[in-house]
Parts: sequence; C-alpha cells; structure tokens
Amino acid sequence: MTAEAEKPNIITSSLDFIVNWGRTNSLWPFPYGTACCAIEFMSTEVGRYDLSRIGSEYVRFTPRQSDVLLVAGTITYKQAPILKRIYEQMAEPRWVIAMGACACSGGFYDCYCTVPGIDHIIPVDVYIGGCPSRPEAFFDAMFDLQKKIKDESYMKQRAERVKEQLEMIKAKTAEAKANAQEFAQEKVAEFKGFVKEKEQNLVKKAQFWKE
Amino acid sequence: MKTAEEIFTALEEKFGAKRETLDKWGVTAIVSTGYLRNVVQFLKDDADVKLDMLVDIAGIDYLTYPNHEGPRFAVSYSFKSIANPGLRFRLKVLVSENSLKVPTLCGLYANANWYEREVYDQFGIVFDGHPDLRRLLNHVEFVGHPLRKDYPAQKRQWLSTNDYLLPALEKRLEDLGYKVVQRSKEVGTNDNEFLEGSIKE
Amino acid sequence: MIVLDKNGEKLNLMPLNVGPSHPATHGCLRFMAAMDGETIVASVEEIGYLHRGFEKMVERGTWQQVIPYTDRLNYCSAIMNNIAFCRAVEKMFGVEITERAKVLRVIVNELSRINDHFVCVAAAFQDLGGTTPFMYAFNPREEIMCIWEKLTGARLTNSYARIGGLYRDSYEGFEADVLAALDSTEKALKDLHACLDRNRIFLDRTVGIGKISAEKAISYGWTGPCLRACGVASDLRKDEPYYDYETYDWEVVVGTQGDCNDRLQVRLAEIEESVKIVRQALLRLTPGPVDIVDPRIRVPAHKLAYQDMEGLIGRFKSVYEGVRVPEGEYYCGSECANGELGFTIVSDGSGHPYRIKVRPPCLTQFAAFHDLVEGGQLADSMAVLSGLNIIAGELDR
Repeated sequence: MTAEAEKPNIITSSLDFIVNWGRTNSLWPFPYGTACCAIEFMSTEVGRYDLSRIGSEYVRFTPRQSDVLLVAGTITYKQAPILKRIYEQMAEPRWVIAMGACACSGGFYDCYCTVPGIDHIIPVDVYIGGCPSRPEAFFDAMFDLQKKIKDESYMKQRAERVKEQLEMIKAKTAEAKANAQEFAQEKVAEFKGFVKEKEQNLVKKAQFWKE
Repeated sequence: MKTAEEIFTALEEKFGAKRETLDKWGVTAIVSTGYLRNVVQFLKDDADVKLDMLVDIAGIDYLTYPNHEGPRFAVSYSFKSIANPGLRFRLKVLVSENSLKVPTLCGLYANANWYEREVYDQFGIVFDGHPDLRRLLNHVEFVGHPLRKDYPAQKRQWLSTNDYLLPALEKRLEDLGYKVVQRSKEVGTNDNEFLEGSIKE
Repeated sequence: MIVLDKNGEKLNLMPLNVGPSHPATHGCLRFMAAMDGETIVASVEEIGYLHRGFEKMVERGTWQQVIPYTDRLNYCSAIMNNIAFCRAVEKMFGVEITERAKVLRVIVNELSRINDHFVCVAAAFQDLGGTTPFMYAFNPREEIMCIWEKLTGARLTNSYARIGGLYRDSYEGFEADVLAALDSTEKALKDLHACLDRNRIFLDRTVGIGKISAEKAISYGWTGPCLRACGVASDLRKDEPYYDYETYDWEVVVGTQGDCNDRLQVRLAEIEESVKIVRQALLRLTPGPVDIVDPRIRVPAHKLAYQDMEGLIGRFKSVYEGVRVPEGEYYCGSECANGELGFTIVSDGSGHPYRIKVRPPCLTQFAAFHDLVEGGQLADSMAVLSGLNIIAGELDR
C-alpha cells in the first residue's frame, strides 16, 4: 500500500496540487515579534505594502490557528523556552521564518543574554537578513516559502506518516504478543506449581488419615 | 529654592559629604552608606530642596578603571526636581567588594524597587531592607553578575524553563492584605521534560 | 489559589498569566494576575525578555559604535536616541554644534516624535479592536519613513546623529518632502480625532481607566507624555532647554485626569505641537556646515581624507581608536518620545566607553503597572498597557 502511494500518479499529483495551492495562498502568520523587526512587520501589514495581497490576511496570535511562525526580533535566553513551546504548540504543517539579523544569528548582540540564532532552538525554513529587514525583503521571503510549499508533496508526507504508523503498530503488536506469551507461560508454570503443591498436600493428608 | 551647589554645601555641613571630582559637568556628592537614607530623606522633604523624583540608579564597577583607588563598586543616584524645574543632583555611595551592602531607598521613592533589583542583578550589590530582591533582567537560572568587569561578555547561560511568578504573586497578595490559605500549582512548570532535553543540547 | 481577604472572607482566585507572547504586550512584557472573576485583585510584572545586553556590548566598542546600539533602544523613534546620546557626549566635550545641525536635529527629533506617537496611538486602537485608525496613522508614518530613507539610507534604525554633527547634510528637496509629510500628518490627525473623540466604545474603554495621581506618578519617576497626562507640565525641552527649543512657539500639552484616554490624547496633541515646531524650524534652516571642525571629535570629511595628510590621520585615528571623551562621570537626559531618556556616562579618557547606563523612560512606567490595573477588569489592563506605550527594546535594553 505504501509503495503505491509513493509513486506519483494522476490522483495523488492533482491532490498535491490542490492541497499546495490552498496552503500557499492562505499562510496565516503568527508574528512572534519581540523587537524592531516587529515594527517593520507592522508596516508590512498596513497600507503601502499590504500583506493580505498574498493571502496572509489574518495575523493570528495563537499558535493553534497559524501556519507560519514569524520570529521577528532578538530572542534572549529568557525568551527561548517560550518560543520553543509556541513552536511545539503549532499544528502541522508549520513553517518558520527568521526575520532580521537577530533571529538569524543573534545580530550584533553577541552577548551573554542573546541566543545566537533561533536555529539553536527550532528549525527554520527561510532566513531574512537586514537589521531590520525591509518589507520588500519580507515579501521575498514569503514568496520563497510559497515556492518551498509548492514543492512539497502532501501524499508523500502522508504515506511516510502512514508507514511510520504501520511500523509502529507492527512493532507494538509484536511486543504485545511476546508479552502475552511470556505472561501465559509464567501463569502456566505458576498453575503447575500450584497443582503440584495441592497434590502433595493431598498425599500428605491421605497419609495422615491413614496413620 | 537652593541651587545644586548650595545643596552640596548643606550636605557637606550636615552629613560630611564629599565632592566627586570626576563629575565636572554637574554636582555629585559622595556620602557614606550609613547616612544614605537620611541624606535622601533630607533631599526629598526639605522645603528648599524638594528633589522629588529619583531619575536613575546606576551601578559602576571600577575594577579596570585606570588609577582608581578606593572601593571597587559605586552606586550612583540621579535626582531631579519637578517642583523646581531644571534642578538636578547626583549622589554616590562607594561599596567595597567585601561588604556589598547599601541601604535601600524603597519606601522613599516608588521606582527605587525596580532600579535596585536591576543593580542587584547586574552587579550583585545587595540592598539592605529591600522587600523583594530578585533578578530583574536576567533569568532565574543565571549565575553571576554580567555587568561586572570580570564577567566575560560571551559567557552564555541557557534557561531550561520559564520563570516562576507565583511566589511573587502570593507576596503581592499578602502586601495587599490578603492571606493565602491554599496555594495553586503553576501549569507547565513541572512538565518541562520536553523542553529540557531539546533546549539544552 | 484560595485566599482570605481583610474581613476574613474566603476568595477563590485564579492566577492568570498574560504574555510575553500576547498581541497586546508588544513583544516582551509579562504579568501574572490573580483574578477574582473578571477583576484583577493583584498583579506582578516580569521583564527582561528582550534584555540584549546593551550596557555590556557598548563597553567593547568605541564611542561612535554606541550610536547603532542606541537606535535599537526605542526603535519607534531611533533618531531621537542617537541625538540624546550624542548630546550627552558633546556636553562632556563641551562643544557646541553648528547652527544648521541644531535646526536639522530639531526637525528630525520632532518628526521622530510624530512617528513614535503615531505608533503608540495606532497600536492602542488595534489592541482595543479598532483596525481603521491603524491604517490612518500609518500613512503619514510611511511618508516620514520615506524621508528617513532618503536622508539616512535606512527606514527604521537610522543612526543619523554623530558626535559633533550629523551623518550627512539634508538632500535636495528635503523641505518639500517634510512639508508634504506634515500635511498628511495633519490630515491623519483629523481622521484620528474623528475616529476617537466621540467614539462611544473607545471612550467607555479608556476614560477613567488606569488612573494615577500626579504625586504617585512623580514618585514612580514617570516622565514624558504619561506624566503630562496627570497634569504636571514637565518637559525637558522647556525646563532645561537645548537646541533653542525655548525660542520656538509651542506649548507643553497637559492632561487633567491621568487616565488612559488622557495619555492618548496628550500624544495626539503633542503631534500637533511637533508639527508646529517643524514648520518653524524649516524656516530657520539656513545653509551652512553640519559638522564641527575638530578632527578629535568629528571625523574629517571623505574629501579631506583623500587629499590631506592631516585629514587622513584624523580619520584613521578617530575610526580605529575612537574619539577620546574627557575623563569623568556625567548624567544627561533628553526629552524623548516616551519621556526622559538619560545616559549616565563614565569615561576613563580612552576611546572606549567605560560604562554607559541608560535611564529608560518605559521602565518607570511599567513599574507602576500593578497600581494601574489592580481593581480593574482584565480587558482594561490591555488598554492601560497600550496607553503607556512600553517599548521593550528600551525597557530591557
């Protein structure tokens, strides 16, 4: 079953196309804005640049409803566990954009308190340079991300996931079977011992009464 | 209203303040830590002075300062007057490395609380009588005091889990006159396994 | 948690964590509130989520290298921070900058103030659920950003001021651009007032919310628009005038109530005053040099470096060794968008700063946050927070 799903055919590739079309054109960002880059992101949202042109209309402040984690600004060690948790709360599929020099590498804050790049904590899909990045650069990153999403295959990912799950299930059943057998053997042995004991007891009792 | 120079002469007479020669642009008085609270009380309440705003508290580490004699640390207080616009005055106390103690200004100025917490965080100077001396800017697992000159700038320290604010909240409730009967657990502080493994790598 | 109040009554409070990643906390603020239903009984704040080590970093570079770091203190009005820092250092040198530089600094200062206040008001509206004013306020802001691009090459973090002058003189057509930006600022102000002044929802959510008395605000060390909203006419541009601010015709805007609405209205009125100042300053803009001529303080021009021996040496020394600020300690505060931005500077006479302590205006305002929200509703805390205009870069440095 899995081998079939991995092969591109007319159904899977067109399904991929539709799924990717939907995903690329409704990327809802989660602006994890901490510093200067967040202000530039605000400029990107409004009037002149208008992020909603490429379908990122809704800026969502909850990780459950968003697709793109946009880390805009310096991440300090105090902030790191929170960023990590937010990333883990996001539902698949999820992508991460590191906006600005600080998020990419720590920027010019090479210091005791700043994380040298968020890729120490979470995986990153697109990096944007600049301190802060211009709105144009941000758009460029969004286009890059869209290209990346278009190359992904939903069916392949699903097949892999199914494969993993099947393997997991198989392994688990085998384990359970082995456990059950062991358990049964143990029980049988126990029961045998119990019967033997009883028999011995009976023999003893019979001897006693005989005497 | 007194000028800064007149305030200094008053302090000199009353508390034996010394002039800080390094400050060539304003007036800075060096006072001993024992008198600090009295001096500040005088500056704040005296009808002719009325330095009613504490502008800033800065810690200074003189470890690598050329030709420096005397204690290693200093805490500098900047005041200004709202009642008498344009009047500024600075106080300085010298703190030796052995004692590291300065009386707190909490109770006199409301913002002294956070400023002192910051100085404690960055320099390790302990403010006697401070109600809640915790770190302000660095995280709870941080060891050392980063703005001391002997702390390497790139010595990084990871934090494994988020800061715990419930004790502070309970303290605040008690300050407001409530009595905590039953404590509650903060969600998420105990299940930090998934954070610890990944973030410390 | 279960607590007993003063009368011995049992209360079941819920500790609620807000932030640091919350749409209204603007990045990196966090507070924990003990909630009785919808009412905040007690609150504690936690900061430091954007502590980037400004004070440690600046000790490693030269004096000129501090300027880009100051950009990122209050990144909504970066040029103001540059100017505040350069002014402090210039005072230590004891030099007067040229007349043209003074006027240019006043112009960019006030334009930055307009920028900053627009962000604050727009974000406050956004946090309360209004999207339209956000768009209105950002239009003139974008125009000012365009001026910054032409003037300095950067949109947000400009690094325009230099010790002893400016990065460069204004470009051709600067005045016309500024005038156009001022016009659209005034238009946006009109639109904003139309949205704000008689908006029932907005007034219900801001009037009487987060009140603070003048005495308490002073004790907390509040400065800037937040203090002026409490009715204290304290403005460093009038109290300790610099760059001839006292000779311009403008007024200190003062509020009456000290509540959230006043804080936003004071900011809007200050934009009007800033527009007035810039218009007057444009008339005073006369041709002349922007840099002082002193190779020990301001780097000689490129032209001199290529043609003149002394120019080359001056440039080399000042770039590699940094300017040598006289030995000493000094505190100098300037009136920035959020209040008094002060620098306590300790110099040991070398090319590197020995210690620079920033006095951030936001810190004192956020320190009073629990006093403003306790006893109010949870939703009000967002209005209070956005009215204070806490900029995390400045708060945590």
